Amino acid sequence: MLEILNKIEWTALGQVFQATMVFAVGVVGIFSLGIRLLTNAQHAVPGANKGKTSAVRAEVLNRLGAYVAFAVCLVALGWGITLVAPWIFGIEDAK
Amino acid sequence: MDLIFLVVAAVVVLALFFDFTNGFHDTANAMATPIATGALKPKVAVGIAAVMNLLGAFLSTEVAKAISVSLIHEDAQATLFVGVTGAQMVFAGLTGAILWNLTTWFLGLPSSSSHALFGGLIGAAIAFAGMDAVNTPKVLEKVVIPALFAPAIAGLAAFLATRAAYLITARSQKARSKSGIGTGRNKFKIGQIFSSSLVALSHGTNDAQKTMGVITLVLVAAGFQSDGNHVEFWVVLTSALAIALGTYSGGWRIIKTMGTGLSEIRPAQGFASEVATGVAILASSKLGFALSTTQVASGSVIGSGLGRKGGAVRWSKAGQIVVGWLFTLPAAGIVGALSAFLVKAGPVGFIADAVITLAAIIAIFQISKRNKVAHHNVVSEIEGASEVVASPRQVRKAAAKAAKAAAKAGKKKGKK
Repeated sequence: MLEILNKIEWTALGQVFQATMVFAVGVVGIFSLGIRLLTNAQHAVPGANKGKTSAVRAEVLNRLGAYVAFAVCLVALGWGITLVAPWIFGIEDAK
Repeated sequence: MDLIFLVVAAVVVLALFFDFTNGFHDTANAMATPIATGALKPKVAVGIAAVMNLLGAFLSTEVAKAISVSLIHEDAQATLFVGVTGAQMVFAGLTGAILWNLTTWFLGLPSSSSHALFGGLIGAAIAFAGMDAVNTPKVLEKVVIPALFAPAIAGLAAFLATRAAYLITARSQKARSKSGIGTGRNKFKIGQIFSSSLVALSHGTNDAQKTMGVITLVLVAAGFQSDGNHVEFWVVLTSALAIALGTYSGGWRIIKTMGTGLSEIRPAQGFASEVATGVAILASSKLGFALSTTQVASGSVIGSGLGRKGGAVRWSKAGQIVVGWLFTLPAAGIVGALSAFLVKAGPVGFIADAVITLAAIIAIFQISKRNKVAHHNVVSEIEGASEVVASPRQVRKAAAKAAKAAAKAGKKKGKK
């Protein structure tokens, strides 16, 4: 039994573990950040502050940050898929 | 007509049928949570799932190769795995898997179609050629160990991701009352459109490949293909179409039978669990692990349930699910071995096995047509998993009920 367990490539399983943790928590975290910033942006210019430059700046910056965060998530998604299917972008599989 | 051609044709048809039922059965894995949270309309969700499964099937062939090359020992492949015997063995394994799958589906037991397939094939191989035929280290490495770890990995990732999502979007009481700002967590619904598509895509990648692997296995056995290191294009195409069609027709089931557990899932949790599921399955597909997508999705749903503060585990439900997970592989193995003994007995046995499987398929189809919405035979594993964790609301409800009962008991005592 021990001999069999030694033959197993545990590193591959370790890779699945690492990839899942980093990607899942990372993407969800960044997406959440985007949502927080977008919500900030939507509340940056309440009625009383209408026309105030600082409030408008805050809205723009928050919105920009949110879009960057969402874009990062999309890029991560695309990159992850090309890892599984390298041929999509004409990259030959290393094997 | 050649006997071998007949056997191969039978295997291809059965494998594609298996693929179809797999898609049919697993639509819920990708689409139950977005439908439950209202992120996607049911019909749209099912359409997306079908298209994504179709596309996913074309992504990779790592898992198919793992099945066609590694599960059965090379020495055994050389001697036993030629001609009619090899093809019959695959046939026996496949009928065993289908019989087991139909039975568990009918009884409403949680079961993984992937494990049923592996169990059936391994059981048949053992029945044909003894324990030595099976490449035990490879089976452990590519099937058993991923099966045990992947749901746990996905569950942990979903747990942490849910925690992160709630932490990052949290707003203090002060901020809320000052500007009326909310958490914006409903916006996760938009993310769910992407994340559930990712799950459907990864499902197509991993599960359609299992069918491709079986078909390739029989093509090699019959000598129609020189080795199992590549997958013929027509095999990829038909497998992709079968799983997509199955996914599409499986839609009505989840639309009609949304359970109570799923209705408690919030968009942030749905998003976190879907991302974890999709990533775990894709990473495993990349490395050629043939895992159960249903189990991974269930693990994620449980993890994201726990990730929200105030949830509680219902251990009895969790136990049921885990027992179902551990049980499938050996049980399907026994059914596969029984089919193999039938097939081995001669042409009559072969025909008997085919007739039994066909009869079971037709019977189950008739029964499911008669009571389409009967709950016991259409419950999905995902739904079972979603009931493992009680949501904060359900915990409060239960606590209130207990407090009421205690107060009542207290009053009675006081009267005495």
